[in-house]
Amino acid sequence: MSQVTFKNVSKEFKVNKGVSSWAVKDFNLQINHAEFVSFLGPSGCGKTTTLRMIAGLEENSHGQILFDQDVVSDPLQKKFLLPEKRNVGMVFQSYAVWPHMNVFDNIAYPLKLKKMSSQEIKKDVMAILDLVELAGLENRKSHELSGGQQQRIALARGLVMKPRILLLDEPLSNLDAKLREKMRKDIREIQQRLNLTMVYVTHDQKEAFQMSDKVVVMNQGHIVQVGSPQEILNNPVNEFVADFVKN
Amino acid sequence: MKKAFYILCLIIVIGLFIAPLGYLFFVPSLSDLFAVLQNENTLKAAKNTLVVSTLVSIFCLLLGLPLAWLITRTDLPFKNKWRSLFCLPYAIPPFVGAIGWIILANPTSGVLNQWFGLNLNIYTLAGLVFVETSFLFTFVLLTALTVLDRMDSSLEEAARLSGASGLRVFKDIGLPLLKPAIISGFILSFLATAASFGIPALIGGPARIYMFTTQIYTYQRMGTSNGLQMSIAVSVILGLFTLGLLYVSQKFFGANKNYTVSGKTARPSFIPLNRWKIPITFFLSALFTIIFILPIFGLLLSSLSPVQGVWNFASLTLNNFTRVLFETEETARAIYQSFILGLSAAAICTTFSFFFNYFTYRTTWKGRQWAQLAISIPFSTPGTVLALALILSLSQGYFGLGPSLYNTLGLILIAYVIKYSSLSLKTIGDGYQQIHPSLEEAARISGAGWWTIMRTIYFPLLKTAMMASVFLVFMPVVSELTMTILLTGPGLETIGTLIFQLQEYSDMGGGGASVLSVLVVAFVLSLNLTLKILSKGRYGL
Repeated sequence: MSQVTFKNVSKEFKVNKGVSSWAVKDFNLQINHAEFVSFLGPSGCGKTTTLRMIAGLEENSHGQILFDQDVVSDPLQKKFLLPEKRNVGMVFQSYAVWPHMNVFDNIAYPLKLKKMSSQEIKKDVMAILDLVELAGLENRKSHELSGGQQQRIALARGLVMKPRILLLDEPLSNLDAKLREKMRKDIREIQQRLNLTMVYVTHDQKEAFQMSDKVVVMNQGHIVQVGSPQEILNNPVNEFVADFVKN
Repeated sequence: MKKAFYILCLIIVIGLFIAPLGYLFFVPSLSDLFAVLQNENTLKAAKNTLVVSTLVSIFCLLLGLPLAWLITRTDLPFKNKWRSLFCLPYAIPPFVGAIGWIILANPTSGVLNQWFGLNLNIYTLAGLVFVETSFLFTFVLLTALTVLDRMDSSLEEAARLSGASGLRVFKDIGLPLLKPAIISGFILSFLATAASFGIPALIGGPARIYMFTTQIYTYQRMGTSNGLQMSIAVSVILGLFTLGLLYVSQKFFGANKNYTVSGKTARPSFIPLNRWKIPITFFLSALFTIIFILPIFGLLLSSLSPVQGVWNFASLTLNNFTRVLFETEETARAIYQSFILGLSAAAICTTFSFFFNYFTYRTTWKGRQWAQLAISIPFSTPGTVLALALILSLSQGYFGLGPSLYNTLGLILIAYVIKYSSLSLKTIGDGYQQIHPSLEEAARISGAGWWTIMRTIYFPLLKTAMMASVFLVFMPVVSELTMTILLTGPGLETIGTLIFQLQEYSDMGGGGASVLSVLVVAFVLSLNLTLKILSKGRYGL
C-alpha cells in the first residue's frame, strides 16, 4: 500500500485570458511507506510545486492526490483537505523558524495545538531535541542561532508532530558544504531510525543519489524518470537525464 | 566640486532644516511656558488632543490591521482592487473630507438627516474622531501592508502544517510579528491626529473642541503680540510633545527587528475564508462606501445644488462651477499660485535629494547621517509648529538679515520645501540603493568625472524615482492647508486656504468650497493614477 499516490495530477496557471502555463503536468507517482524519495531537477521544473501540493499549500487543478486510500485533493469532487488537517511535516528552505519564540516554543507549537498536556509536550520536545542534537539550547532565542542550528529546529518541529510524511524543500541549500555533508547523513539516519516517509526536493544530484531510496527526475513539469539511484545512474532514459546526472 | 556641493548641502540643512525649528524652542522663557500651561484653554486643548488622538489611533488599528491581513493573507476576492481602494483616502486632503461630512451630517441641514430622517450631528467628539479615523487609518494600513508583504510567508505556512487554522495563525504568528508595525502605526496615527488642523478646525470648531493646532491658530489670528506669544508657547509644547514621543518610540521600538527573512515563496498559500467570503466582501463594500464614497458624493451634490440645504436631484446645475471658477478672481489666482508653489517645491526637493542622497549612499563623509535625520524631523513635526518657527525666524529677513519674507509666497515655498523634502529624500534614496556601485566605478574607470557620472549614470537611472518624487511632493503641496493658513496674507490665496475660507467665513450658501473640493479630489486622484501608470505600478497608491 502506497502512502501518497498522485493520479494524473496537474497544476495549471492562468497567465492571461485563454493562455495558461503548466507548473506540473500529468504527474503519476506512488510514494511508499518509510521510503526516502527525492524530487530532482533544475529550478523551475515543478518539484517544489509538487511538494507543496502534498502539503496542501498549493491546490492541484486536475487529477487526484491520495493519502493511503483517502482522497485529500480532487478538484472534480471539490475535495480539498486543508494543510492544517493533513498531519504533514515540512522543512522549508528558509527554515521558517518563528523569530518571536524560543527554541522550545518553536518545537512545542504543533503539540500545543494538539492540546497535549505540558508534561507530555516537555517529554516529547526534549526527546526530539536529543535526536537533532540541540539538547541544552531549548531556552535560546531561535533567531540568534546559526543557520545549521535553525535548520535543526525546523527539522525537530516537523518530526515532533509524528507526521505521516515529512517534506523537505531544499533544506540544505543555505548551509556551507561541510555542514551540508553532515546534515545529509543525519537526516537519512533519522529517517531510517524512525521508519518515516520523507520527500526531499533538491537540484543537487549528488545529494539525491546519496540519500534516497527512489529518485524522481523532473523537467518542465513532467516526470522524466523514476527509479533507484543505481537504475538512474546506470540506465538514464534519455540525454536530459544522462546529462543532468553526469556531473 | 563634489566636496563643495556637499558643503553647500550641509549649509542648507543647518540653515533651513535645523536653525528655524531649533530657534523656536529657545524663544519662550520657562515662565512663559509655565504661564501658558496654567492657562485654562491650553489645558483643555491638551486634554482634547490626548483624548482625540488616543481614540483615533485605537480605531485606526482596529480598522487598518484586519484590513491589511485580509488583503495580504486570505483568499478574499479582488484583493488587489481592495488594496488600491482602501489606500485612496491617503491621497486626499483630510479637510476636504471634513467638508463632505459637514454637508452629509450637520445637524441643521445634513443630507443624511434630511433624506433618511436621521439625527446625525458631525459637530461632536464622535464626529471628529470618526472623520479623522476615516482618513488616518491609511497610516496603519500602509505600514502593516509593507510588513506583511515582506514577511516570509513560510513562517505562516509552517504554522498551518503544525495544525493551526486561519485565525489561530494570525494570533500566534502574524500578530506577534506585526508588533513593531502595530506600535509604529499607532504612534504615526497618534501624531498625525495631534498634528491635524483641517478636520479639528472645521468640525471641532463648531463643536467647541479645540486641539493644540486649532488653539495655536486662534491665538495667532488675534494679531496681538500677546496672541503671538501664546501661540509660540503652545507650539513649543506641541513640538516637544511630538519630538519626545518620536524619540521614545525610536529608543524603545526602533531596534525592534522587523522579521522579514528571505521571502522565497513566490506565491504564498492563502487562508480560505469559506462561508465568510460573502459577508466580508459585503462588509468591505459598505465600509468603503461610508468612509470614501459618501463624503465625495456629499461634495458633488453640494457643488451641483443651487441652494445649499435643499437637497434633491431635480434642480442640479453647474452654476456654482461657473461662478466660482470664472466670476471670482481669487479662484484663478489661488489655482495659479498653488501650481507655481507646488511645481517649485517639487523641483527644489527633488534636485536637492538627487544630490544629497549621493552623499548619503555613495560616500562615507562625516555628517551625512545626522543631516538625513535633520531633514526627516520637519516632516514629523506638526505643520502648525513649523509654520510658527518660520514666522519667527524668517519674517524679518533671515534671522534679521536681508529682506523680509513676511507675506510673500517665498515664505510659503520655504515651508513646503522644509516639510516635504523628506518624501523626496526617501523616494530617491531607495532608488540609489538599487543601483550597484560598480556602475559608477565602471564609468570612473572609463574616465568620467563626478559631474559626468551624475549626469550620464545616475540621472538616467534615477529618472523614474525622480519623477515619482516630483509627484509625491506636488500632490500634498498643491492643496496644503495647515502651514499655509498661518503664513498666508492678502493676495496670497492657495487652493487650500481658499477652500478653508470659503467654508469658514464666506459663501456658506453658495457651495463654493464644495466646487473646489470636488476639483481637488478629482485632480489628486488622477495625478495618482498618472504616477502609477507612468512608473508601471512602482509608485502611487
